[in-house]
Amino acid sequence: MLTFVQQLINGLTIGSFYALIALGYSLVYGIMKLINFAHGDLFALGCYVGYTLLVWVSASLTSLFGIWGCLAVGMIVAAIGVGGAGILMERVAYRPIYPAGRLPAVVSALGVSIFLENFIMVVWGPRYLAYHSSFIPAGYWQIGSFRITVLQVVILVLSFILMGVLYYIIEKTTFGAAIRAAAFDRDTAKLMGIDINKIIFFVFSVGPALGGATGVMVGMYYRQISFTMGWVYGLRAFTATIMGGIGNIPGAMIGGIILGILEMLGAGYISAAWKDVFVFVVLIAVLIFRPTGLIGEKKAEKV
Amino acid sequence: MKIGKRLLIGSLVVSMLLVLLPLGSAMAAKESVTIGLQGPITGPWAYEGEMAEHSCRIAATLINEKGGILGGRMIELVVADDSGTPKDGVLAAQRLVAQGVAAAVATYGSSICRPSSDIYEKGKMINIGYGVTFVGLTQRGLNYFFRTCGRDDTQGVFFAKYTTETLGKKRIAIMHDNTTFAKGVAEETKKALQEKIKAGKAEIVYYDAITPGEKDYTPSLTKLRDANPDVWYFTGYYPEGGLLIRQARNLGIDCLFVGSNAVINEDFIKIAGLDVAEGCLMTQEPMPETLPFPESKEFLKAYREKYGTIPTSPWPVYGADALNVIAYAIDKTGSTNPDALADFLRHGLKKSPMPGVTGPVSFTEQGDRVGVPYQMYVVDEEGKIVLYEPGK
Amino acid sequence: MKKNIVIFIIVAVALCIFPFVASTYLVDVVFFFGIYTLLGLSLNIILGEVGLFDLGHAAFYAVGAYTTAILNTRLGIPIFVLLPISGIAAAAFAWLVCSPIIHLRGDYLCIVTIGMGEIVRIALLNDPGGLTGGPNGVFGIERPILGGPLVIESSIAFYFLIWIIVGLSIFALVRLQNSRIGRAWNCIREDEVAAEATGIDVRSLKLLCFILGAGLAGIAGNVYASKMMCVSPESFTFMDSCMYFCIVLLGGSGSIPGTIIGAGAISLFPEIFRSLAKYRMLFFGVAMVAMMYFRPGGLWPRKRGGLGSK
Repeated sequence: MLTFVQQLINGLTIGSFYALIALGYSLVYGIMKLINFAHGDLFALGCYVGYTLLVWVSASLTSLFGIWGCLAVGMIVAAIGVGGAGILMERVAYRPIYPAGRLPAVVSALGVSIFLENFIMVVWGPRYLAYHSSFIPAGYWQIGSFRITVLQVVILVLSFILMGVLYYIIEKTTFGAAIRAAAFDRDTAKLMGIDINKIIFFVFSVGPALGGATGVMVGMYYRQISFTMGWVYGLRAFTATIMGGIGNIPGAMIGGIILGILEMLGAGYISAAWKDVFVFVVLIAVLIFRPTGLIGEKKAEKV
Repeated sequence: MKIGKRLLIGSLVVSMLLVLLPLGSAMAAKESVTIGLQGPITGPWAYEGEMAEHSCRIAATLINEKGGILGGRMIELVVADDSGTPKDGVLAAQRLVAQGVAAAVATYGSSICRPSSDIYEKGKMINIGYGVTFVGLTQRGLNYFFRTCGRDDTQGVFFAKYTTETLGKKRIAIMHDNTTFAKGVAEETKKALQEKIKAGKAEIVYYDAITPGEKDYTPSLTKLRDANPDVWYFTGYYPEGGLLIRQARNLGIDCLFVGSNAVINEDFIKIAGLDVAEGCLMTQEPMPETLPFPESKEFLKAYREKYGTIPTSPWPVYGADALNVIAYAIDKTGSTNPDALADFLRHGLKKSPMPGVTGPVSFTEQGDRVGVPYQMYVVDEEGKIVLYEPGK
Repeated sequence: MKKNIVIFIIVAVALCIFPFVASTYLVDVVFFFGIYTLLGLSLNIILGEVGLFDLGHAAFYAVGAYTTAILNTRLGIPIFVLLPISGIAAAAFAWLVCSPIIHLRGDYLCIVTIGMGEIVRIALLNDPGGLTGGPNGVFGIERPILGGPLVIESSIAFYFLIWIIVGLSIFALVRLQNSRIGRAWNCIREDEVAAEATGIDVRSLKLLCFILGAGLAGIAGNVYASKMMCVSPESFTFMDSCMYFCIVLLGGSGSIPGTIIGAGAISLFPEIFRSLAKYRMLFFGVAMVAMMYFRPGGLWPRKRGGLGSK
């Protein structure tokens, strides 16, 4: 039983990472109907920006802000940096391609993904970069035979706050309604006087920014990063988005958490080597019985 | 317009082929002796490729500084990227053969090496693997393939013997990561333990693989904890190793941790944290920094001077020695004829092995490196990796 | 029509002469160009003709390659006999796996194909029952024997083998494009509901395109396996599936000459720019974006005729 609880806690932590990345993914996907393959690499960029900031400028930062402050500063800087990269990416690689349709946009996204991944490799080198222990907050609580670290709790709390804020913005504010309208039907939304450009700006800055901030958290949690991280997390984010239902933004969050928990349970009770198979089999089963995802799309199929 | 477009595309295709043609023609080396290096410069193992390239460059520089070979000819390194995939390995090998290099240092990754070595064999080119430990590679009767690194079975046998006899452990957990190297060592370890298991002296309580590149191993580790092992052997690589040991200790797994020769290094200690890394053991061929040979110290010094660090995995130094032994063979035989070189590598070295960075280099009839003894190393309280003395 | 035939003949002659004047390295490069072409054509059936997002195509390629590998090394069945068998095995696999999910729409199908690709890859890696050899894969695959002393061994022989297969496939695919099935496929691509309404059995035809696409990919797998003499899971990753996807889109989805050019671009580009070393892939990524900007319809788009064509 205790093992199960431990797996659950870890599943929640990793699930919240997926949820945050999936959120950003789903935002872009819902509005632009674009499978942004580069989103995972933006997340990886966030890891590296965070690492660079924390490790190279470390001494002064730690004395100024303390270890927790470092995490906060790292997240903010990464969020801004990666958010900016997202906007740049949209301007350069996606905006010119929109008129051509969905498929060329997918290829363009793949191109950006390849570019970003190799850019990271060229700039920071192909080696795994490791955080030194002195940056990582230590401390944990031992309950019976399982542990929960302070860092884990902080990450969980932070993730849920971020998710909550975004949920609030999207579901409860007028601007959020505009976003949802644009996700529903972009052209009609334009006709209704919604400024699509503002929405695009929001989506392409906030989505990647979330990914960037998550990158810093992930980097600290696992203590090492490599340029190939983006691909794996990007795929997980896409899976989570689909599980929740396309264009369904809260659905992506739930999808992410479920994905994390499924992974942990699969690895723990079946076999670590087959866990990804387990996750995909569950996904396929879900889609067979609920073809529009767990939460479902809020869209009637027009005939 | 339609005609124009087709002409454009047609000329594009033709010009692409024309550009490729000169690349394919053999380039004769005039003054320098060209030695090829095939490795994963891009792709998922780019860090191995980068270190291998650096190592070979240092090795070549050291030789050139001492006056080169064959009476003053310099060594020139030609790099062929195989991206860590078998198909690109074939193409890279073909390129080196077409370019007519004297011999090749190739490659890293057993599943890439296999088809590449077939190409070199057909092209009659000496190729020496540096990161290829799969046992079957030297069992194909190839004439021109050798390897300076060890094999999976030697390491597994050493671990099995040492753990049960010297350390007296009984409940053994084996974990790998499904790469050819790690799984190979794990399988050979399992095989080597069978004798002890039959005699009731050992028991494999856990045998599974983790997925490399992942970050969270708590599910596997929880399972490991439930199996209650005395000793835990992880045969994979240091990025995962560092994470595993730290997460394991967090979960309360206290048993002895032993890593394969790809697990323990400076980065492992950084990732795990010294407090956790201290006391971890490793099965390793004699490490350059612990070798008494002047060659090893010289090499590491030059490497550190140029790149600020030393290689963090065992394979790059084998690459350096592959290059060294090629140069040595060319120098001693006075030619780049592949058959003469093969014969020298097989027979000539036996009498007097070449002093290399990783120790004396010579090969068996099959092409395996002779005498790769394994030893148990430990991380001491200062974060140094030293020979382990049980009972201390 | 006459101009097409002239161009075709010129290209065919060039392809025949090429291997005898170029180095073995270049012959191998163009061999892999051929493999990519075959894979692109096989995906084109699914993606180009019917418009289904298949991002797990490497799975079919893998099934074909591993079928050849396992049956040849364990049962000694000759490679040529295994050529159609691998195709059928891949096709059967596609039928089995796609039947339950063929009704899924667009992006949902996409993620399922990705999942399928990953499941196949991981299954191959984990070596169930000792069949697939795990990360080392299966090795010791023979070469195709045509009969007696005629063995396909050299790079030049494989070059001709693959391009003859490609030629035959193109012939068959062009016929298919102009057939009832081909037109029905395009109908489904344009508007699935309307197609259903006009009496087209959408489900069966979608399944058929997967089966055919997989079969062709399986055949490519057979040739690849006997060329490399060994197969391992690294050759069949998600990245590879993405590359095949790009081949079809870069060339022009639904367009056969486009797919060939797309395959050329994807396989030749990294070779041409090898001198750029580790910056090579940076340019590759940029080139992909640029391609979509300048020629979003592909390098040789399909001319879709008929009323109301765009």
